[in-house]
Amino acid sequence: MGATVLASQTAPVTADDRERFQALAEEHLDSLFRAALRLTRNRTRAEDLLQETFLRAWRSFHTFKPGTNARAWLYKILMNAYIDGYRKATREPEIVDHEDVDEFYLYTKVQESDDFRRAGDPEEVLLARLMDADVKGALDSLPDAFREVVILADIEGFSYKEIADLLRIPIGTVMSRLHRGRRQLQVKLWEYAKRAHYVNADKPPAGSGGR
Amino acid sequence: MTELDCEQVLQLVWQFLDGEMDDTRYLEIQAHIAACAECGPRYQFQRRLLALVELKCREGPVPTELKRRLFRLLEE
Repeated sequence: MGATVLASQTAPVTADDRERFQALAEEHLDSLFRAALRLTRNRTRAEDLLQETFLRAWRSFHTFKPGTNARAWLYKILMNAYIDGYRKATREPEIVDHEDVDEFYLYTKVQESDDFRRAGDPEEVLLARLMDADVKGALDSLPDAFREVVILADIEGFSYKEIADLLRIPIGTVMSRLHRGRRQLQVKLWEYAKRAHYVNADKPPAGSGGR
Repeated sequence: MTELDCEQVLQLVWQFLDGEMDDTRYLEIQAHIAACAECGPRYQFQRRLLALVELKCREGPVPTELKRRLFRLLEE
């Protein structure tokens, strides 16, 4: 597959091109792979997506202007490849949104929990107990539209404007999806915290007479 | 610019954390959360939450075998 793709390249490839491309890829490959893992939620698919991105980038390398933002250029290719082949084809059904949930959901829950309040620094205790798998699981559970924006902002560190360009959506949409995504993430993280028996948040304290 | 109250500050916390506002507003919010017992801890928590998400989603480098396979595609 690689060979046919490369053969279709318009300009002849020089050893110098190859070296410059290798250096560029070398620098960004790890973070592209991290993004691919979070986007696809699956290691095999992430490897495929990375390869697809790598080949597309190489194929259009002659359009890259040295000195411009290489990271943004590569992520644009990554997101296009992802949207073309990996994002669910069907429009997601009505997104369940927690409009009633405030931006400080997790903070409020911790403050309301007797279990956590007994700890000296309840917020610290909660955050320290959340494992990698909890955070990744919470992120994985978000609707695609929210998940993509949260990944690009909170893990990959792109600005609202950059995300708007990457996903071809207005900045206002980036902001609202990001805020809603972060809200849902907190709801999920609280669920994980409870499910893992870190907290008996909904249980009345012992001796209070029960339900 | 009129001074922001707590509710307005809290509404802008994400944008503040994302560095997505002009300097004047940024400094105003910075001063507010440094002094406010309501907004300060809420801001601190959100800041730590975002740092946690970034930290917990870190991944190791691309597996050597995969990388080798990719770079080999350039030789074809």
